[in-house]
Amino acid sequence: MPWDVIGHTWAVELLQRDLAHDRPRHAYLITGPDGIGKRTLAAEFARALVCTAGGAAAPCGQCRPCQLAARGGHPDLLLVTPEVSGKKVRSEKIKIDPVRQLIYDLTLKPVEARRRVARLLRFDAANVEAMNAFLKTLEEPPANVVIVLTAESADALLPTIVSRCEVLALRPLALAEVREALITRWLVSAEQADHLAHLSGGRLGWAVRAHANPDLLEARRQRLDDLRRLLTATRVERFAYADRLVRDSSSDRLQEILELWMSFWRDVLLSTAQAAAPLTNPDCADDVQRLARALTPASAHSVLTGLRRAHELLGRNINARLTLEVLLLDWPRL
Amino acid sequence: MKFSCLQENLAKGLSLVSRAVAARSTLPVLGNILLAADNGRLRLSATNLELGITCWIGAKIEDEGSITLPAKTLVDLVNTLPQDMVHLGLSARTQTVSLSCGRIKASIKGIDAQEFPSIPTADIDSAIQLNVEDLREMIAGVIFAAATDEARPILTGVLARIEGSQVVLAASDGFRVAERTAHLSTPVDDPVLAIIPARALAELGRVINAEDPVYMYLPPGRGQVIFHHGHVELVSQLIEGTFPAYHNIIPKSYKTRTVLSTDEFRKACKSSDIIAREAAHTTRLRVKPGEDTLIPGHVIISATAAETGDNVAEIDATIDGDPVEIAFNVKYLVDVLSVIDTPNVALETSTSTSPGVIRPVGREDFVYVVMPMHLGR
Repeated sequence: MPWDVIGHTWAVELLQRDLAHDRPRHAYLITGPDGIGKRTLAAEFARALVCTAGGAAAPCGQCRPCQLAARGGHPDLLLVTPEVSGKKVRSEKIKIDPVRQLIYDLTLKPVEARRRVARLLRFDAANVEAMNAFLKTLEEPPANVVIVLTAESADALLPTIVSRCEVLALRPLALAEVREALITRWLVSAEQADHLAHLSGGRLGWAVRAHANPDLLEARRQRLDDLRRLLTATRVERFAYADRLVRDSSSDRLQEILELWMSFWRDVLLSTAQAAAPLTNPDCADDVQRLARALTPASAHSVLTGLRRAHELLGRNINARLTLEVLLLDWPRL
Repeated sequence: MKFSCLQENLAKGLSLVSRAVAARSTLPVLGNILLAADNGRLRLSATNLELGITCWIGAKIEDEGSITLPAKTLVDLVNTLPQDMVHLGLSARTQTVSLSCGRIKASIKGIDAQEFPSIPTADIDSAIQLNVEDLREMIAGVIFAAATDEARPILTGVLARIEGSQVVLAASDGFRVAERTAHLSTPVDDPVLAIIPARALAELGRVINAEDPVYMYLPPGRGQVIFHHGHVELVSQLIEGTFPAYHNIIPKSYKTRTVLSTDEFRKACKSSDIIAREAAHTTRLRVKPGEDTLIPGHVIISATAAETGDNVAEIDATIDGDPVEIAFNVKYLVDVLSVIDTPNVALETSTSTSPGVIRPVGREDFVYVVMPMHLGR
């Protein structure tokens, strides 16, 4: 049975080759942006590893291990995911205790399958202690253990973690691939699929999430409206907006908003330069064109640079309100 | 599935297997107990993937079948039922069990038994037969020496080695080693080497009680060990890896051999620990041989804690060899002196920096090695 993974053909083939030779590596690291398909690939690989059919036929979908795995409950598939913690600043973290428990669980022999497979999802959310605790196991796991890590980027992990794994860096899917998958698998209308595929930036998972949860799209439209309004707003209004935004959203949320605005300004920059590249936000084409006529490439570029800098600073525990105020001060007023 | 059985039997079986229920797990089915009616008996099983307990109880089976039910709900409910016949019936479509006993009726939602991990059963014919008394003593004799810190998973296990007609259990936490040997009534053909989690053995020690022998069975290629005892089976995952070569640290010779009364030694250590626990359990033993054969030697056991104070105990001993002064973690001495049942115990030492050995006098089947501590002078 072919793997239930869309795109990433090279990665699937590589993993299938390891399976066909029955020599999986002891540890894999799958990296790529949020929603690109890391979990799907890791889950499918884990299923194939415990499937009784083995080799190229795995996962067969028929045997008991496959059925248990499909229901999310195979006893030899171990899973560690970030947990929400923190009272004031809520963040998702992998702490040391579940990792220690996993290290112990892995020393036990498999319950039903030939091997035990441990998946540690979003390992970049692990704190340094948890990563260090896992090093020894990652370097020399017990026999019959396969470890699969996922992370947004290898840079976010300790270099000692990365060097112990085979790294599979997933790349964004082609626009047509996302569109096709949305239409055939999720029965999205052609028009909507086109729209979502554009917005997703090659991240099928994001597109599916946005389809299932229209609030996401609504929030996006809202933020783009805010952006348009801010451009004509006075300084006082801009400051009031920054204040409100910081009070209402976490720093992760703020960064998402900045990412969205960046994609919009990127479109503006492309249009001022009269580049042929397709727009990320085709639904705002009119606004982009109007702005592009009013601005020079240099000024669009400086806004974009400011956004990128603010985005970076927000990741570093800085006063979010001041950062946003500075950012909005530098925007042109139309 | 449809059966009826006595409340008393069901409650007893459930309390036995519920010790293996996973308190919190990513697999919801592990919080459940499997009830399977087949071959005219009711089988109860629970597992947390490390340890599984199965228990068979007598029941009047009307329809065969199986289901898993949430452990806490089921145990609590059955415990409150009157001592009467309990009737259970499963509705396969809704996976719900209806239960009635006396004038109480209840229905509990379950999870499909297919999702429960398969628990292997022992093949008695190819199993190793162990004497229940021996096994209980062996477990008690070594289990306290296993590590509780999961940072070194191998040491949280107990090594079981069976060769010919000899069984050896050994445990170590890096500071001490306990090894206990016993003989089998029927020798085995193939030697066995396995590391069994100490938690599983502790559970086994609790389960075994009757005169029935214990059968130990290692299903080939499964990485598990099964203990079969009467109507109960306990399955444990084995720990992967190689147990440290602890034989190398058991000293081959000694300079001083001190024979003490086990009881006096234990009491002295216990009273010493009251002071010593403030000072990392450090206790000094000063061994002084008698001046000639008519005057017995003695051992002075002392502990000092800067904050609390100090205490000294002196006990008579038969000492063979040089005087020596050595410090031990007194907790480790109390642990072992509490399980030795011979009237006298021998302490073999060489220097203040080499490990001490404790053996029961008159038995060759037990040896305990404990690392010394700094004398702190």
